[in-house]
Amino acid sequence: MERRNFLKSALLGGIAGAVQLKPGNIFASESKEAQGETDLVAVMGGDPVTMYKRGIASMGGISRFVKKGNKVVVKPNIGWDKKPEFAANTNPELVAAIVKDCLSAGATEVVVFDHTCDEWQACYNNSGIEAAAKAAGARVAFAHDEKYFKEVSLPKGLRLKSAKIHESIIDCDVWINVPVLKNHGGAKMTISMKNFMGIVWDRRYWHANDLQQCIADCSTYSKMPVLNIVDAYRVMTQNGPKGKTTEDVVTAKALFMSTDIVAVDTAALRFFNQFKEMRIEDVSHIQKAEKAKIGTTNLDTIKVERIKI
Amino acid sequence: MYKWFKRGRVLVSLAVAILITLAFLFFSNRDNFFFSSFLKVQFVPALLGVFTGSVIILASLFILVLLFGRIYCSTLCPLGTLQDTIWRVASLFRSKRSRRFKFSTPKKILRYSILAISAIPLLFGSSFVISLLDPYSNYGKISSEIISRSEQFLHNILSSIFPDSIFFRTYSQFIAISFFFALGFLILVTIMSVFRGRLYCNTICPVGTTLGFISKFAAFRPVINKESCNKCQLCISNCKSECIDLEKGEIDVSRCVACFNCMTVCKRDAVSYKFMWGKRDVDNVFPAKGRREALVTMGLLGSFIAARAISRKNPSAPLNTSDGIAPPGALSIANLKSNCTACQACVSACPNGIIKPATGEYGINGLLMPVLSFEKHFCGYDCNVCSQVCPNGALIPLTLEEKKLTQIGQVRFYEDKCIVVTDNTACGACDEHCPTKAITMIPYGDKGLTIPIVDRDICIGCGGCEYVCPATEKAMLIEPTSVHMVAKKPIVEKQEKVVVDDFGF
Repeated sequence: MERRNFLKSALLGGIAGAVQLKPGNIFASESKEAQGETDLVAVMGGDPVTMYKRGIASMGGISRFVKKGNKVVVKPNIGWDKKPEFAANTNPELVAAIVKDCLSAGATEVVVFDHTCDEWQACYNNSGIEAAAKAAGARVAFAHDEKYFKEVSLPKGLRLKSAKIHESIIDCDVWINVPVLKNHGGAKMTISMKNFMGIVWDRRYWHANDLQQCIADCSTYSKMPVLNIVDAYRVMTQNGPKGKTTEDVVTAKALFMSTDIVAVDTAALRFFNQFKEMRIEDVSHIQKAEKAKIGTTNLDTIKVERIKI
Repeated sequence: MYKWFKRGRVLVSLAVAILITLAFLFFSNRDNFFFSSFLKVQFVPALLGVFTGSVIILASLFILVLLFGRIYCSTLCPLGTLQDTIWRVASLFRSKRSRRFKFSTPKKILRYSILAISAIPLLFGSSFVISLLDPYSNYGKISSEIISRSEQFLHNILSSIFPDSIFFRTYSQFIAISFFFALGFLILVTIMSVFRGRLYCNTICPVGTTLGFISKFAAFRPVINKESCNKCQLCISNCKSECIDLEKGEIDVSRCVACFNCMTVCKRDAVSYKFMWGKRDVDNVFPAKGRREALVTMGLLGSFIAARAISRKNPSAPLNTSDGIAPPGALSIANLKSNCTACQACVSACPNGIIKPATGEYGINGLLMPVLSFEKHFCGYDCNVCSQVCPNGALIPLTLEEKKLTQIGQVRFYEDKCIVVTDNTACGACDEHCPTKAITMIPYGDKGLTIPIVDRDICIGCGGCEYVCPATEKAMLIEPTSVHMVAKKPIVEKQEKVVVDDFGF
């Protein structure tokens, strides 16, 4: 009896496995790796979800970055206890779209978290990100206590030699960085590299030890995001990064994505510069990162695709 | 019949004690004010909050006591319920004989002097003494310091078992004096109740003494029928107030908490809860005397409230020095010190965990009252929880709009300590956290750096800048405003609409 049951379940399991594998195989054969990869995509004029879909398609689909069975982290900016219209945090619809896409690519788990500045539960709630991410099938991780962070050394860092990084980043297979484009009083701009401040525990150290250099140093981390997606649907052009009123926000309807964190920050900065003057030399972490050979600020040397909707 | 009275009393008292405890626990006091609304139905909070919306509650409590005597003490008072519970648990471990109560003579001088020393300072704008003795507030301290901490400990054990679904609760600041006061008080009450039932209520408790005066003229009072009584002492041995004097056949109603124990146990129905208004017993002089005392007490309480009303308008001498920042809604440190009984409802409700019991920030007469500390976090801009949970009116309820303009302190910037000056590198952590933009960044030097500049009129003292400042010696410090002010509204900076339809690269 027992043996029969075992055989039955083994057989069923085998069939289930075969069925599950099948769509994955099709997916893999469809991947656009051969097509000559796009390095950076800029999209304009749509809603966050449409822009994401157009952008990721032109990057070669999410399966270029997320493989079947991957544990994925999607790291938005959830720093502030602000509603989405204040543009202090990443757009929740965008986060949800990315989460869904990762799951459809066969990710076993998608984790969303941020080490917030304001009280974490208020941030998770009022940003709308917790609800959106959960509805899309992600697990929302906690990041409000030091115990969720682990020491990692950054041998290439000039000022930041080590940092305590969130366990979900350490444990994942790939992670996707999803910052929101904002003006910033101290760092001048906060885009992809600055978004790393939400994966570390001790931010105060950065502020006390040459903020711009520390931002660049953290991007020397060996486990970089496979993709950076900059949300510029709503852009906080003044009083950032927290903002006072919706007067600080313009609806710019744009989105940038790239595998090159320096390039995507450069592109987003140039876009921002059209609303408010901002020199790249003043946002010095971008050039410092280029110096550390993390990426390039010269957008002519990479394959850029521009999409207007 | 009395059996059902007693069961009802036990049920109500447990329900109230549980509701009040839940107002102090993390898992039940987030995102709702349901449990904390029950805190207002407490005598001292209602008395102190009489000018801030508790008038109906206070009147209802008076009517309750006027009708049924100190039934308040055995239903609504959580400390009373705690003492009964302790006695009950302790009696499980004792022989029947040692479980018996005896009659004790009233400790009038002690009771009255304690009442006087706790009430008189209230007239002069200090709620300090009452804050150490008030049964509700001390129950609050026990809930916050002991029960809530145990809850947190359990929560964190669960969080290590289910790390993905239950979060770790960062341990809040431990204020030794507050913890040990609560622990000491709990031990005192435990010892008193284990050996003598409601001894605390009938010797120390100022609320018990006050309500005792009024209950002498209560409509319903426990009475012994001397004809049916055979002096079997069963009632005495069950009277946790130790107030039945069978020699005289009298019950001291000023100490009786209307627990119905005597009526339940009497085999001859000799003790009954009788309607006493308009009835005159010829050989009992108690009613007339009781009425006089009750009236005098009510009169005194009336003048007490009137006196406080006057001193409210003219707050006693302004404080020159104060190191403490009072929570929003406190109006002023003087107002806090004259209305707060340190129950810690705000301390346990603060989502940011920045309210702590004062150690010396307000001086000795402000001990254990709530003070803000920006060491671990700062005051949330979109949060008014503390002002909503305070039952006393020590923190008046603020709308979010009012809270966002309530200036509890003002920032002072020490430029020489700022990272931008000392290290010549970018920082701006303070500006980042400033919700009103009282801190903004202006160009500094020729390296494209920016340095903070402050506008103290817009600052509300939330402490975001002080908390986050990375300098070894903080460059941003909040100075308390001993009288809270209304900050200027943050400046709304309209932007020119720029039409952008290019990527810019």
